[in-house]
Amino acid sequence: MKILVVEDEPKTGSYLKQGLVEAGFVVDLASNGVDGLHLASTESYALAILDVMLPGIDGWQVLQGMRKAGKEMPVLFLTARDQVEDRVKGLELGADDYLVKPFAFSELLARVRTLLRRGGKAKDAEYLRVADLELDLLRRRVTRAGKRIDLTAKEFVLLELLLRRQGEVLPRSLIASQVWDMNFDSDTNVIEVAVRRLRAKVDDDFEPRLIRTVRGMGYVLDDVAKDAACD
Amino acid sequence: MRLKRPASITLRLTLLFSLASTVVLLLLGYLVGGAVEQHFVEQDMAVLTGKLDLTRHALEKVRSENDLISIPQQLDDSLVGHQGLALVVVAPDGQKLFATSGAEFPQMLLDKPVLADSLRPVFWKTASNVPFRGLAALATTGIRDTPPAIIAVATDISHHEHFMSSFRITLWSFVTLAALMTGFLGWVAVRRGLYPLQAIRLKAEGITAQKLDDRLDVDSVPVELVDLAETLNAMLSRLEDSFRRLSDFSSDLAHELRTPVSNLLTQTQVTLSRPRTPEDYRDVLVSNVEEFERLSRMISDMLFIAKADEGRIVPSRENIDLERIAEDLIDFYRLIADEKSVTLSRSGAAQVIGDPLMLRRAISNLISNAIRHTPSGEGIRIAIEPADTGRIRIVVTNGGETIPPAHLPRLFDRFYRVDPSRHWQGTHSGLGLAIVKSIVEAHGGEVSLVSAAEKTSFIMEIPRGD
Repeated sequence: MKILVVEDEPKTGSYLKQGLVEAGFVVDLASNGVDGLHLASTESYALAILDVMLPGIDGWQVLQGMRKAGKEMPVLFLTARDQVEDRVKGLELGADDYLVKPFAFSELLARVRTLLRRGGKAKDAEYLRVADLELDLLRRRVTRAGKRIDLTAKEFVLLELLLRRQGEVLPRSLIASQVWDMNFDSDTNVIEVAVRRLRAKVDDDFEPRLIRTVRGMGYVLDDVAKDAACD
Repeated sequence: MRLKRPASITLRLTLLFSLASTVVLLLLGYLVGGAVEQHFVEQDMAVLTGKLDLTRHALEKVRSENDLISIPQQLDDSLVGHQGLALVVVAPDGQKLFATSGAEFPQMLLDKPVLADSLRPVFWKTASNVPFRGLAALATTGIRDTPPAIIAVATDISHHEHFMSSFRITLWSFVTLAALMTGFLGWVAVRRGLYPLQAIRLKAEGITAQKLDDRLDVDSVPVELVDLAETLNAMLSRLEDSFRRLSDFSSDLAHELRTPVSNLLTQTQVTLSRPRTPEDYRDVLVSNVEEFERLSRMISDMLFIAKADEGRIVPSRENIDLERIAEDLIDFYRLIADEKSVTLSRSGAAQVIGDPLMLRRAISNLISNAIRHTPSGEGIRIAIEPADTGRIRIVVTNGGETIPPAHLPRLFDRFYRVDPSRHWQGTHSGLGLAIVKSIVEAHGGEVSLVSAAEKTSFIMEIPRGD
C-alpha cells in the first residue's frame, strides 16, 4: 500500500519514511506543501500523512487542494500544536485523524493501520483464532489447545484487541485507551501488569508463546511458528 | 472602527477654563460698555431737558403775537456757548419760529411730540452723517386759545460716539487679551496640577522585569490619586507574582530537563565510544525510548498546565457519575495495586456537571500518586461525599508515613517532591498533582491536603455545577 508523507522537517520525514517502509508500506516523501499537493493530486495513495505547518502552502491547503482534485484517501494530520481549534478545523476540512507531536511511532503506525482498515469491511466474526488460541466473541470464552481459560472482562477485551490486530505492535497508550478508556497519559505500568497477567494465563502453559513484548514499542500478538513457516 | 482617543486632560481643562473666563469677560465687557453709554445718554438728557425747559419757559411768558417776535432773539442768546446744540420751535400755526442753523430734525419727531413729562430721546443721523440725539415736546404759550407750540432740541453726539467706539476697541482688546492670559495661566495651572500624574508615569517607567518589586509611594500622591496608585500597586503585585511563577517554572523546567537529557547524552555517547553487540545497542535504544517517552509526557503535561494557567482550559459541561469514574479507575489501577499488595476501595457517590475526561484524569492522578506512596499492606480509600460548602469532595486517602507539615502547601506545585532524592523515578513527570490542581481550579473548585496520624488525604472539592 502506498502512503504519501508530507513533512518539512528532514529528520522526521526520513524516519517516518523508514519506519513506514519497514512496516511494509510504499512511501513517497514530499518536503513542502506544493510538492505534496502535486503528488497527492497526480498519484494514487491509500493514505496521506500531512504535517500542518509546511513551507509554501500548509497542510490544510494541501488537504483542500487534493479533495478538490477528487482524491478521497484518508488523511492523518501531524501537528506540534494541540489546540482544540486546530483539531476542529482539521476535522471540518475532512481530516480523518490527528496526532500531536511528539508522538510514539508505534502510535502512528497503529493509527495508520486503523485508517487503512476503515475502508475495508470489518467482519463480524463470531470467533477469532490464532494458532491454537480461540476466542468465542459471543460467549466471551477463550480456549487454548482445547483447554478453557478463565479471563476477567478486561483481560478478554485486551486479548481481543491484540488478536484483532495481530502482527501489529500496540503501544501501551493505545491499549490503555482502547481497553480502559484512559484517553490521557496514565500510569503505563498498569498495562505491563495487565499484559503480564494475561500472558500468564494464555501463554505460560502453552507453546508457542503468542504475546510478545517489543521493547520500547509495546506489545504484539503473533504466531511466530506460522510466520517462521511462511518464511 | 477605530476608537478616537479622548483629548488630553490638560487640553480639556485649559479649554474649559478659557471658555469659562471668556464668557465672564464678555459679559463684563458688555455691561461696562452699556453702563458708559448709559452715562452719556443721561448726560445728554440733562442738557436737552434743561434747554427744553428754558425754551418752554420763554414761550410761556409770551402773552401776544408780538411777544413771539422777540423769542428768536432770546433763544439765540440762551444758546450762546452751547456748541453742537440745535433747537427748533414750531409755532402753533406750523410756522417755524426759530431754528438754529443746520438743524435737521427728522419729521417724525416734529409730528409726534410728547408731553414734557414722558420724554424719550431719539437718535438719528443727519444727511452729512452727524449723529444727533434729540427730544421734542409740546409747549403751551401764554396766548389764549392757541394750540401748543412744538419745541425740539438735539445735540451733536459725535464726540460721544467717537469716544465710545475707541472705548469699545480698547475694552474688547483687553477682554481678548485677558481671555488669552487666563487660557495660558489655566494651562500652566493644569500642568502643575497634573504633575503628580507625571510623577506616577515617571515612576512606572522605571519599573522593569528586573525591578518588579518597586511600588508607587501611596503616601506621597494627592488624595484623589490614592485609589489609582493602590490599584496600580495591586496590579504590580499580581504581575510580580505571575512573573515570579513563570520564571520559577522556567528554571524548574530547565532543571527537570537537564537530568534526563544529560543521561541520554552520556549513555548514547558511551555506547558509541566503542563497537558493541546489537543487543547492547538495542538496550540503549530501549532505555532512550523510555526517557523520551517520559520527556514527551512531561512536555504535554507542561503544556496542559501552561494553558490552564492562562485560563485557556475550558472544561466541557456534561453530567458525570463520579461513582462510575471511581470504579472504572479502581478497575484499572487494581492490577498494579494488587502487585504492591495495596487495597483500593470506594465509598459514596455523586453526580456533578463537568468535563468527564479531565475529572477522570484528575482522580486518576490522585490514585496513581497514592499507589506510589502507599506501603504494602496498606489501603487506599476513595470517598465521594458532600462538603459543608454544598460542593462535592473527592477524597483519596492512603496510609503511610505522615508528610511533614512544611511540605503540605507546596505539594500541588509542579515538580515539587517531598524527597528530592527520589528525583526522576518511575514514569511520572512530577506534574501529576499540579495537573489535578489545574483541572479542579478550571472547574471552579479547589484542592487541599491533610496529613496526620500516618494517613494522607488529597481532597478535590468541586462545585456540583448545576
